[in-house]
Amino acid sequence: MKIPKIRYGRRLTYADYLYNFFATITGLTIFNIEFAKQMFKTPLEIGQIKKHMDELGVKTFGIVSITGLIIGLVLTMQSQPIMQRFGATDFLPAMVSISVVRELGPVITALIFAGRVSSGIGAELGSMRVTEQIDAMEVSAINPFKYLVVTRVIATTMILPILTIYVIMIALVGTYLAIILMESMSLKYFVDSVVTTIEFGDFIPGVGKTFVFGYLVGMVGCYKGLTAEGGTEGVGRASTTAVVLSSLLILIFDMVLVKISLWLWPTIS
Amino acid sequence: MVMANDKLVEIKNLSKRFEALSVLDDISIDVLRGENLVVFGRSGQGKSVLLKCIIGLMHPDAGKIYIKGNDISLLSMKELNDLRKDIGFLFQGSALYDSMTVRENLEFPLQKHFPDKPQKEIDEKVLNTLELVSLEDAIDKMPSELSGGMKKRIGLARSIITDPELMLYDEPTTGLDPITTKEISELIINLQKKLNMTSIVVTHDLICAEIIADRAIFLRDAKIAYEGNITELTNSADSFLRNFFSHELVKE
Repeated sequence: MKIPKIRYGRRLTYADYLYNFFATITGLTIFNIEFAKQMFKTPLEIGQIKKHMDELGVKTFGIVSITGLIIGLVLTMQSQPIMQRFGATDFLPAMVSISVVRELGPVITALIFAGRVSSGIGAELGSMRVTEQIDAMEVSAINPFKYLVVTRVIATTMILPILTIYVIMIALVGTYLAIILMESMSLKYFVDSVVTTIEFGDFIPGVGKTFVFGYLVGMVGCYKGLTAEGGTEGVGRASTTAVVLSSLLILIFDMVLVKISLWLWPTIS
Repeated sequence: MVMANDKLVEIKNLSKRFEALSVLDDISIDVLRGENLVVFGRSGQGKSVLLKCIIGLMHPDAGKIYIKGNDISLLSMKELNDLRKDIGFLFQGSALYDSMTVRENLEFPLQKHFPDKPQKEIDEKVLNTLELVSLEDAIDKMPSELSGGMKKRIGLARSIITDPELMLYDEPTTGLDPITTKEISELIINLQKKLNMTSIVVTHDLICAEIIADRAIFLRDAKIAYEGNITELTNSADSFLRNFFSHELVKE
């Protein structure tokens, strides 16, 4: 697996930036192909996948809980005056829940997850690279790609949809809290309104795309970490660029996936 | 391709360069079974690159490396990994896995090399190996809790836990005080005798080399500039070697 090297330095030319752009695309493509090749090879390292899922879940649980609650509260507080102007505050639960399920819940959770997890993976693997721990693994006849990359990418792909569903639930709690602070609305009316508005089909594009986001977060973090070089500076760079690149890719893929979902399921859009 | 002889490692016309910089140029070395070969050289002269080529972490641009008669460039990944079971590598910075305890660091190569080995045997092997390096008490410590010398010992224990025939040492005493340097060097020579290993030691530490070396080579300008036993090298009239081994700066 020969990955093109990224050029670093203080005097990079436009040609170097262009080279780095294509080197990153090539590197990520090679990583994806290698992932497809290694994924089903034994040993499957199920224990490692479970361990990473467990760690990622614990690491991000607190921050996504707060995020979910704030999404629900803020979105409701922002929407309430406009809805009130049109005498349509009864539609608040329906409007907010649709926004949260289809777009805000998945994308904001993915961005928070990228900030927390992609940087962590980039720093961890980058540190392992510059301290020769990855070479030590290879010398011990262990495939570092299988052991470090495949397990982490599978874990991030599996855990992000679970976190997203959790964030959506918490955001709806936040929505109800914001509504009852401003209006009088029974819990039964709120739940009925949400349940009748959100169809099961709304979850498919919403939560479905978080599998892709989770994969991107894991893949970019591993790519940046495993290709880190240049001592501690390289580790910092791996961590930072992992967040930037994975966040950017989440937004780009979100746009593409929304377009695909509108094409596939026009009735629910 | 198998060649039957007493040479455990044969390096033939090995060359390696990084862009314009040639670090190894047409190097040929034989290492006999049971021999301790020390590789000297100034920093950046390709000593570590030589070791990484031998273990297959780097690929030479030209030349062949035979280990136990096997041309490593012709081996599949599986065959190379099987061969690596017989090779230990002590990294310059020990390269202990940060996220694992000392016990887990030592268990890891055993579990991966011998997946069918019962856990009880693995536990015994870990304890016995830690006894060899006199660090049984550190078994549940994390690498961050260990001193530099302790890390080297644990790194050494991890390298020898699979009972390798060949040990590759990359600067085993760098950054250690003279007393710890002697202790580590004595430990290496004792383990070599006890486990009947062959060793290639990359160093620029004379104390370490004097304790360990059966034979030494000196890399300079990407080539083997000098070869002989350690006394020959240290007593050489060559101004470069005198500069390297003495405390005074001698004009070349």
